[in-house]
Amino acid sequence: MSSGRIQVVICRCCTESPKLLDIAKLEAAANDAELVMSVKVVDEICDGKAVVDVAREAAEKEIDRAVVLACHKRDVSPALLKAYRRAGIDRSMVEFVNVREEVVLPHVDDPEGAQKKAETKLKAALGRVTMLVPLLTETEEMRTKNVVIIGAGVAGMAAAEAAARAGAHTVIIEKSSRSVKAPGILMSNTRLVATKGTPGNYELTIMAGEKTEELECAAVVVATGGGWNSLKGPLAKASKDAVPLYKLSEMLQAGHAPKGPVVIVDTPDPTGKSLKVMDFAWDEALMTAIDVKKKHPQTEVFMLFQEMRAFGLSEITYKEAAELGIRFVRYDRTGVPKVDPKDPTKMTVTDLAQGELLSVRLGTLAFAAIPANPDNRDIADALRIPMTAEGGLRRGGIQRWPVATPRPGIFVCGSAVFPKSADAARAEGEAAGSMAAAYASKGTVEYGGSVAQVAQEKCSACLTCIRTCPYEAPYIGTANKVEIRRQLCQGCGICAGICPSKAIELLHYTDDQIQQETRTMLGGDF
Amino acid sequence: MTDRRPKVVGFCCERHGMDAAVLAARSGRQYDASVRVIQVPCSGRVDGLHILKAFEDGADAVFVIGCLEKNCYYDTGSIEGRKRVEYVKGMLAELGIEKERVEMFNAASTNAWAFPEAASKMVEVAKRLGPLDMGGDTR
Amino acid sequence: MTNQVLVVGGGPAGLTVAKTLVDRDIQVVLVERTESLGGMARELTCKGLTECRNCGVCFAMDRAGELLREPGAEVFLLSEVVSAQRTGDGYKVKVKSSPRYVTDDCTGCGKCVEACPVDGKAVFAPTGSGQPRIHWIDRTKCLHFKKGKCDACASACPTKAIDFDDRAKSVTRDVSEIVYATGIRAVDACEVSRLGCGTFADVVSSVDAERILNEKGRLVRPSDGRPPKRVAVLQCVGSRSVKNGVEYCSKFCCKYATKISQMMIDTDPELNLDFYFMDLRTLYEPQDEFKAWAKGKKTVRLLRSMPAAVSQGPDGTLLVRAATETDTEVQETAYDLVILSVGMRPHGAKDALAGQLGIGADSFGFAVADRELEKAGVFVAGAVSEPMDIEEAAVRAVATGSRVSGRRRGTQ
Repeated sequence: MSSGRIQVVICRCCTESPKLLDIAKLEAAANDAELVMSVKVVDEICDGKAVVDVAREAAEKEIDRAVVLACHKRDVSPALLKAYRRAGIDRSMVEFVNVREEVVLPHVDDPEGAQKKAETKLKAALGRVTMLVPLLTETEEMRTKNVVIIGAGVAGMAAAEAAARAGAHTVIIEKSSRSVKAPGILMSNTRLVATKGTPGNYELTIMAGEKTEELECAAVVVATGGGWNSLKGPLAKASKDAVPLYKLSEMLQAGHAPKGPVVIVDTPDPTGKSLKVMDFAWDEALMTAIDVKKKHPQTEVFMLFQEMRAFGLSEITYKEAAELGIRFVRYDRTGVPKVDPKDPTKMTVTDLAQGELLSVRLGTLAFAAIPANPDNRDIADALRIPMTAEGGLRRGGIQRWPVATPRPGIFVCGSAVFPKSADAARAEGEAAGSMAAAYASKGTVEYGGSVAQVAQEKCSACLTCIRTCPYEAPYIGTANKVEIRRQLCQGCGICAGICPSKAIELLHYTDDQIQQETRTMLGGDF
Repeated sequence: MTDRRPKVVGFCCERHGMDAAVLAARSGRQYDASVRVIQVPCSGRVDGLHILKAFEDGADAVFVIGCLEKNCYYDTGSIEGRKRVEYVKGMLAELGIEKERVEMFNAASTNAWAFPEAASKMVEVAKRLGPLDMGGDTR
Repeated sequence: MTNQVLVVGGGPAGLTVAKTLVDRDIQVVLVERTESLGGMARELTCKGLTECRNCGVCFAMDRAGELLREPGAEVFLLSEVVSAQRTGDGYKVKVKSSPRYVTDDCTGCGKCVEACPVDGKAVFAPTGSGQPRIHWIDRTKCLHFKKGKCDACASACPTKAIDFDDRAKSVTRDVSEIVYATGIRAVDACEVSRLGCGTFADVVSSVDAERILNEKGRLVRPSDGRPPKRVAVLQCVGSRSVKNGVEYCSKFCCKYATKISQMMIDTDPELNLDFYFMDLRTLYEPQDEFKAWAKGKKTVRLLRSMPAAVSQGPDGTLLVRAATETDTEVQETAYDLVILSVGMRPHGAKDALAGQLGIGADSFGFAVADRELEKAGVFVAGAVSEPMDIEEAAVRAVATGSRVSGRRRGTQ
């Protein structure tokens, strides 16, 4: 059903740069078209005077939708849409045709083809705009300004400070009994259990000791860190006194002398069969090894590794460590470090550089490995955020900014994502905390617009859309049919593309609208 | 019917797909005017139905271009788009139509070469395999 | 306190700080030395064919296009900050802009470059995928300025975008904070002359390889334009080396080189690729992932070896001389393309402006800015301060932006 009072605007700046098209013919085609009440050819649609003129005529002729032949809609001055709104035309009823970059610039050697294409695109846009219905958006208040930070480690603390600095109310949830000075509220012995709610209005269920509590927040920062303590494998099994690296550093800081020789091995599971390691704390391991050597020059220090991943300026630390007499031993899977089951103080490994079997007395054995935090699975399930293949929590695509997840208002940082140095974790925490605070400070969430809509009579409740939506927007409602949570729908249309019953449509990109455009374009003779 | 220009339809996502096309245009890259670009919010929006109807309405080749997988603006959208294209390939094979007439491409916003290459590949397919001419009263 | 912040440098870090500030309603003045935004990311390529490989290049370039459309950001290209005088609670900065000689009627078509008679050209497209997509003229090469006549580009331009009357401009701005993000320069592969860069056409640096990939989508041999059949990728060229003064690890080269290798194999699964390296430092990726990938490809070999020299082989091939992993033999293997993965050096930390602002430089040339300097309103962002890849530069830039914003709110 076609309806509407259309205004067509043709911008010369975009469509005649370079001069390829016959604008007069386009103008004539627009004037001849059904439902077109006004045709304005302007030199530059971004010019203030042109905008005023166009909007005035739109108001006079009671225009309710527009087709603008110009460049990419994001390059057109926002003044046009503002003026249209004042004239009563919703922005969702303005169709921009990127003549400049889709017709003129790529076809400069084919003026005839470009002309027919431009005329057909005009026809398709007119057809499309008559099928459009104004989109409705809603706003919801964020009930709190809380930013909840999960984890009070390096990244978590940095996130809390950054969020508090930006004016957010911070609540830090920490699973251990550790007490640290933090801005806002610190809840020790507390874990996240489940999450409900929508972006900006999340409801977290937490376990504070034995008590279950509900915590409302606008945004969440996940800073649960690496799995420092989950080291397992043949070497850990054979050597009961082996420690994760951070325990060795703590020991040194407390003034204890480690029993020599100190041997730092990359992983307790050199063949990688039982323990998936994400990365290693080599920068810390090198600094700890240097610390040992400086404090106890007579103590022998060995570092056994497959790759010495000393990134960036840690390379200088590596050099310093070597100069101090720390012994670096590279091995590979053909000669992995082994602890003699009969004598747990003896470790053997094939030194690749020497090509020989090296035998080392174990005084202190430490591992630099950082496996994934075993809590990540529960956190990911509770917050409905994705994980990496290695067991870390992953950010969304880089296109959507680092430290962000596909769920609006939920951010991840630090070694929970992938092991990194304390300094880098701190920077990520700061970034995540400030982004969470910025999100929470908006105070409201806007949603709706071009979202999915279900015709329940067609829905067969096959659950395909529910399984496919990246945002968990569809759910089975009380009528045992799918409904869409508008607060979660991001307007991608994946559900509409996959629904076998064609029960879901994406507003503004319905099947009819897409097919009308395709058919019209194929009908053009170019 | 002989020597008529090929008709190619490209479903292009609004994000990196279109960004790649725009960068190409702004770098002087050219492609055949017979390529009709239909913008969709995400390549995952494309239904097998849209591709098949495009063939019915006169397309000789159809492609879908979206963001790189794992960097889709909508997370898994371009993975879904590819699944849709693979599904249609299967259907075409059952109908005795060449599978190459439909293809999926991925692009990043910085690749000026990606969109013109996809377009020219499909124009070449359309020319080589000839008009599809599915007939019917839809044309 | 004025509402403006100066960002020096339009690379990934500068762009991300600028966007972070603009999103918090803080106005930005961004000054970029070259003709377009994007920094090193302009010339780097997206390294995925169907699947994203997380190089971060598109992130930086998306920010570049975006910033140019932000009403709250004033961008100066072909510009430098000439001076920054401390005033009451901020800085008075003087920005000098060189003329571009091309207006924004430019469509990026490149007909001017075709028409330009100068050897090596005097008019140029924006570097790589740099934004905005407007060409520019280097008057020191241009015959119109050197000889007083030549209108070849102006005549060829279909939109009359050439403007020989463009003039240098000078403006002053009052800003409350300055973010110094002048970035990095790639190590010149020719510095390591024994590896053949500059001698043999088919020995290219990783930066050159990325530039070609970004433009064409395919890596071809510079000598004959044909796709290669046997490629050697050599890591750590110029990094981790006392001789070249780049003792540190540049951090991102293994990441980029492994991904370029993966992309080349995606494009040509029959390609023979040998990857020479010291330690596999694939950033943000488990150390075995690339090894597992290589194992699954019959034509890829990982060789832990630092080649000593590249020389001419028979039939136009290149011979790479390297000791094998067990170091008992020296071997020469023939390739038809050699890619040297170069590291980076920080750029701009020793400039006059840095000195004026109190930014120090360490022995490697990395910029040093401490919390005291930040209290005075001077911040440093990006790889000019330490080795980092694009994503880390972006993350740290968001953090820096939040500290700038915090200072303005008095909660530093």
